[in-house]
Amino acid sequence: MKAASLSTVKTIASRLPRNLKLWTGIIMFLGTCIISFAYLSLVPPHRIVRPGLAPPNKPPSPSHPLGTDSLGRDVLAQLPLCAMNSLQIGLIVALIGTVIGAIIGFCAGYNGGVIDLVLRGATDTFITIPMLPILITLASFMRVVHIWMTALILAIPSWAWPARQIRAQVLSLKEREFIYMSRLSGMSSAEIIFKDLMPHMLQYMGANFIFAFIWAILAEAGISMLGLGPQHTMTIGMMIYWAMSYVALVRGLWWWIFSPILLLIWIIAFLYLTHTGLDEVINPRLRRQGG
Amino acid sequence: MLSWQYVVKRMISYGVVMWLAVTINFMIPRLAPGNPIQTIMSRFMAYGVVQGNQEIVEEYARRFGLDGDLFTQYISYLRELFSGRLGMSITSFPTSVEELIVRALPWTMFLLSIATLVGWIVGNLLGAIVGWSRSSKIAAIIGPIAWILSQIPYYIMALVLIFVFAYSLEIFPLGGALSRGMTPNLSWEFVYDALWHAALPMLSILIGSIGWSVVSMRALISNVLGEDYIMMAKAKGLKSSYIMTRYALKNALLPQVTALALSLGNILSGAILAEIVFAYPGLGWLLWTSVTGLDYPMIQGILLLIIFSVCTAALLIDLLYPLIDPRIRYGRR
Repeated sequence: MKAASLSTVKTIASRLPRNLKLWTGIIMFLGTCIISFAYLSLVPPHRIVRPGLAPPNKPPSPSHPLGTDSLGRDVLAQLPLCAMNSLQIGLIVALIGTVIGAIIGFCAGYNGGVIDLVLRGATDTFITIPMLPILITLASFMRVVHIWMTALILAIPSWAWPARQIRAQVLSLKEREFIYMSRLSGMSSAEIIFKDLMPHMLQYMGANFIFAFIWAILAEAGISMLGLGPQHTMTIGMMIYWAMSYVALVRGLWWWIFSPILLLIWIIAFLYLTHTGLDEVINPRLRRQGG
Repeated sequence: MLSWQYVVKRMISYGVVMWLAVTINFMIPRLAPGNPIQTIMSRFMAYGVVQGNQEIVEEYARRFGLDGDLFTQYISYLRELFSGRLGMSITSFPTSVEELIVRALPWTMFLLSIATLVGWIVGNLLGAIVGWSRSSKIAAIIGPIAWILSQIPYYIMALVLIFVFAYSLEIFPLGGALSRGMTPNLSWEFVYDALWHAALPMLSILIGSIGWSVVSMRALISNVLGEDYIMMAKAKGLKSSYIMTRYALKNALLPQVTALALSLGNILSGAILAEIVFAYPGLGWLLWTSVTGLDYPMIQGILLLIIFSVCTAALLIDLLYPLIDPRIRYGRR
């Protein structure tokens, strides 16, 4: 019994892709999540964002390793909350974008005809129009309070790129022989999509997912930087916003503004590692071309 | 060359995109929860400026085209738009939205046109050199640096530049477009002052776009290197620099034109945030002040202008592209 389970673990392990970038990225991601989660379970968020618990405007010192902000909050303590909230927003956006994008891509690519024309038109529109100004407008009309509102606003354009990619893949796959074979053997469209096409798509959807994740986190930072993010909590963008509205940079409070920026770069870095790692696993040709 | 079918198709899709953008722009404030006028009124009341009464609300609604049923509103909105009127600004009330935009536009144009062009040219040349001599030491250094720079958002670069050059070294100003008391005129003093203020915002956009061009150009050149005609040119004994400029660069540059068209929206979005960081009085700064002042007609006007200019630029590049690249024949199979 024990030997059997050990051998299953071994076979699973041997099937996992051996890619250093991918695993470094995943470990950095999990590490960030675990540390943030552990900290947040010790200290409730409302204690982190409450002003006046520490002396304001203090540079980094042993008691406050990253200093304090003008409202008397510890900068380091805010980072786990920022990381968790921003990652959560990214996750929601990436999930919605990938799933809806896949559905639209499949419908457009598999059915063709008028459906394809309409869906492709919509996709291209969303890709050409600069999204940030639209998101800014949307966010300024809706008074954003919770992180899920930010996530929903960011999810609006997030399906376009996945849809476009999936459609292109479906178009090239559906003319292959094994699809003809399935169709001749009397499988329904739904069966063909889920049993024949989906397995080929999963990897692409994975890459799309991480791409949308990165985009969402950067877009959140851009929008919240204008003060249009979730008001009652802290995200990376909101932290930059507070620092900017207290002109932290000009007053020399560099620890306040550069801490969230470094956190942002750290998060983007591990997501990017995961993304390129996954790309290399899916598409071994990329490794030779040097990406 | 250009086929009429293609031009017509492209124009139709342009028209559809513009119509969609206008309609989205119309719908956003009407779908959003809460009444913008009520929000503004309550703000005014908080300042003690006016007593909020029903007549003022109705007058505002009439002026900003928010009365009548949805269809009537839509038609009057379209009619106003076609006659070039974007409505009145709320925060600086008697001034129209167009007037404020026209005041801000030259600054953004100045910043963006120079940053995009210089970034595109320098980035492509640098990328070509790096891609051409991939095994050299310079390529090994420039490649990764360019990749990192291309990934950093403009506003983060902007914050870093302000901290280093404006706050710590005090070489450049912290923000704004002109020194206090300086008015636009045709003197060297003015040109110098404008450039001195524009240096950091421009640099923040420039660095990112150079990085991006280098990365994509390097990949394109590496692809071209494997082509038969390069091998042929080498076999003929042509000089390496001649092959690079006349054969490789020419062919790799073409996809970069399309890439520029596609990335215009991104560049503009990035520039908006960079302007806000530098308090540079262009469209981005105008958008930011309108957002903080809840100036809805202003926000919508700017949004519409941004969408219009990006889509038009993309259309022009798409239509001009077949003229530059004779291999492309759209609309024929």
